[in-house]
Amino acid sequence: MRSIRTRIAVWYALSATVTLAILFAAGYVLLENYIDHDLDLLNRVEFEQIRARLGRDYHALTPDIIDRRIRETTNYASVLFYININIPGHGMLFYSSNLAGRPIPDIPRKHIYNASVPGIGGLRVAEFIAPPFDITVGTPTRQMHQVLRAYVEVSLALLAAMLLISAGLGFGLGDVVLRPVRLIGQTASRIRSDNLDARIPVAGVDNELSDLAKLLNQMFDRIEGAFKQMRVFTAEVSHELKTPLSLVRLHAEKLLTDGNLQGRSEEAVLVQLEELGRVSRMIDELLFISRAEAHALSLRLLPRNPHEFLRSIEGDLRALCCHRGIRLDIAYAGAGSVAIDEQRLRQVLFNLVNNALDASPPRGGVRLCSSVEQTRWCCRVEDDGPGLEDDQYEKAFDRFVRFGRAPTDTGSGLGLAICRSIIELHGGVIRAMPRPDGRGACFCFELPLADAAMGAGVAPAVTALAH
Amino acid sequence: MKILVVEDQPRLGEFLRQGLGERAYTVSLAQTCAQARDALCESSCDAIILDLGLPDGDGLDLLREWRRCGFNEPVLILSARDSVEDRISGLDLGADDYLPKPFSLEELLAHVRCLLRRHSVVKQALIEHRGIRLDLAGHTVRAHGQPVDLTSREFALLELFMQNIGRTLTRDFISDRIWPGLVDTNLLDVYMSRLRAKLEDSSGAPLFRTLRGIGYQMA
Ligand SMILES: Nc1ncnc2c1ncn2[C@@H]1O[C@H](COP(=O)(O)OP(=O)(O)OP(=O)(O)O)[C@@H](O)[C@H]1O
Ligand SMILES: [Mg+2]
Repeated sequence: MRSIRTRIAVWYALSATVTLAILFAAGYVLLENYIDHDLDLLNRVEFEQIRARLGRDYHALTPDIIDRRIRETTNYASVLFYININIPGHGMLFYSSNLAGRPIPDIPRKHIYNASVPGIGGLRVAEFIAPPFDITVGTPTRQMHQVLRAYVEVSLALLAAMLLISAGLGFGLGDVVLRPVRLIGQTASRIRSDNLDARIPVAGVDNELSDLAKLLNQMFDRIEGAFKQMRVFTAEVSHELKTPLSLVRLHAEKLLTDGNLQGRSEEAVLVQLEELGRVSRMIDELLFISRAEAHALSLRLLPRNPHEFLRSIEGDLRALCCHRGIRLDIAYAGAGSVAIDEQRLRQVLFNLVNNALDASPPRGGVRLCSSVEQTRWCCRVEDDGPGLEDDQYEKAFDRFVRFGRAPTDTGSGLGLAICRSIIELHGGVIRAMPRPDGRGACFCFELPLADAAMGAGVAPAVTALAH
Repeated sequence: MKILVVEDQPRLGEFLRQGLGERAYTVSLAQTCAQARDALCESSCDAIILDLGLPDGDGLDLLREWRRCGFNEPVLILSARDSVEDRISGLDLGADDYLPKPFSLEELLAHVRCLLRRHSVVKQALIEHRGIRLDLAGHTVRAHGQPVDLTSREFALLELFMQNIGRTLTRDFISDRIWPGLVDTNLLDVYMSRLRAKLEDSSGAPLFRTLRGIGYQMA
C-alpha cells in the first residue's frame, strides 16, 4: 500500500468492521442465552402443570392412572413439548405421544442441557425430580435456530455495509488528516533559491504537525543562511579580485594607447592583457559554477520552442564553423515547449560546438541534432574528431580537466563544467559518449518538456535580489 | 560635464579621475557612501559612476536612496558582480547602465557617452561614412552605391560601429551589446572578418582597425 491515505482508509475500515463484528458476536451469545433461558422457563411451567395434574397423591398411583392424567395435558401441548417420565432403576413410565416411544437422551448429573432426538431434531431439555419420578421435558430448538440464523444473516449484511461505508469514510478521513502534511509538502516544494524566504505556515495549536512544520522552517532558515552566505562570499571574492584586475588592465591599456612602447614591450603588454582577460573570465566561470552547485543561483526560465531557440543562434554557430572551414549540419525533429533560460543555454551550445570545432580535423563536419520526444528534448553535438578514451567521457565535465592539450590551446577546462551546471539547473542531464559509429565524440543533453518540468517543480523563476 | 565617481579603491578612483579628466570631464571623487552623499549635497552633477562594494555600505542602497528622493541623473554601476541577478537588481533600482569589472577606460568612456546622450540625442535614421550608407529604417546597407547583403547580426555590429565612428570599442562592450551574456572568445573576430570581407575593398585603407587585446575601431 503506497499511499498513507489508502492505509488510513484500510485501517479505519478494518477496525470499524472488526469492532462491529465483535459486538454482533456478543449479541449472538446474549441472544442465545436469552432464548435458552426462555425455553427453560417454558419447560419449568410445563413441569409445574404436569405435577399439578398428577396431584398430591401421585406416589401411590398406578402407571395407568398416571398415564391417563398426564396424557390429558400433554396431548394438547404435544406440539410444544416432549415429555418422558421414568423411575430411576425401574425404567420408563411414560412417553408423550409425539416421542413415539423414543426416549429423550439423558445426560447424567445434568438437569438442563441440549439434546438431539433422531427424527425430531434438537431439544432444550430440563430434567425435574419429583421422587420417585424423573420428569424430563424437552422443547424443540428449531425456531430458536431460525431466529439465530436470521440474526447472523442480518449481521453479515450489516458488516458488509459497514466495511464499505467505513472505507469511504476512511478515505475522507485520510484526506482531512493528511491535508496539513500536503500543505507542508507544497510549501517545501515551492521553496527554491529564488524564494528562500517562503515558510510553512504554522498552526496556532501545538501538535505533532506544527512541530514538524517548525522543524522544517528552522531547516529552511539554515539553508537560507547558507545561500546568502554563498552569495555574499562570491560577491566579495569577485570584488576583491576584480578591482585590482581593473587597475592592471587600465594601466596596461594606457601603456598601449600612449603609444611609446617598443616592439618587444608592446608584445609583453598585449600578452598581459590577453591573460588578464582569461583570468577575469575564469573568475566569472568559477564563481558561476560554485553558485550553481550551491543552487544559489536562479534561472530566468521561459517556455520556448527549442527549435525556434536553436534557429535564433543557428547563424552564429554557422559563422563560427564556416570560419574554421568546417561544415555544420543541423537536424530538427518533433515539436514541443521547454522551459529554458536562453542566455545560459546558448552558452552551453556555444561551448559544445567550440569543443567540437577544436576537436575536428580539417574539412571535418559537426552535426547538431535536436529532437523533441514524448517527455524530453534531446540535443546532440557530434564531431569527426578523435573522440575521447572510455574513462575520459565522464571526467571531461570536471573543472579544469583538459586532455591532450595542443600548444595553441587557450582553454581553461571549465567549459564543460559550466555546461553541466547550466543543464542541471534546468533539471536536465548532460552526457558524453563515443559516436555510435565509433568515429568522434558525441555530447548530448536532455531537458524535460515544459509540462513535465512544471510537474517536477521547475517553475519560471523570479529573479531575486542577490544579497 | 561633471561626473561623480564613487569608488573605494583609491588608486582606481585616482585613475578614473585622471582618465576622465583628460577627456574634459570634471570629476569629483567619493570613497564612501557618506562622502558620496556629501558630494551630492554640495553640488549637482551630470552623471554618477557608482561602485557597489563600498566600505560603509552597498552602492545599491545608495542608489535606492537617491532614486527615492527624486535624483534623476544617469547612474552607471561599476561592479565586480557580474551575475545577471546583480545586473537586473541594479537596473531595477534605477541604474541606467552596468559595467562589469575589469573594464577598460575606452569602455567606460563609451558607456558614459551613451549615458549623457541618452536623454538628448535622437537616433539618426541614416548614417553615411566613407562610402558606406547605413539605412536604419529600411535595414539596408550600401557600399559605394552597391547594395550589400548583411545578416541581422552583421547589421547590428555595423550599426554599433557607425554610431561610434573614430572611437575605440572594446571587445566586451561590443559583445555585451550584440551577444549579451555570451562568453565566446572567437565569435566577435569571426564576425569582424565577415564584415571586412563584405565592406572593405582591396584598394582603400582598412575600414576597421584592430586594437589587439583591446577591441576595434572604425576609422
Ligand atoms: N568534442 C570533443 N572531442 C574530443 N575531446 C573533447 C571534446 N570536447 C571536449 N573534449 C575534451 O574535454 C576537455 C574539457 O573540455 P572543456 O570544454 O571543459 O575545456 P576546454 O575546451 O579545454 O576549455 P574551455 O572550454 O574552458 O575554454 C577538453 O580539453 C578536451 O580535451
Ligand atoms: Mg571548451
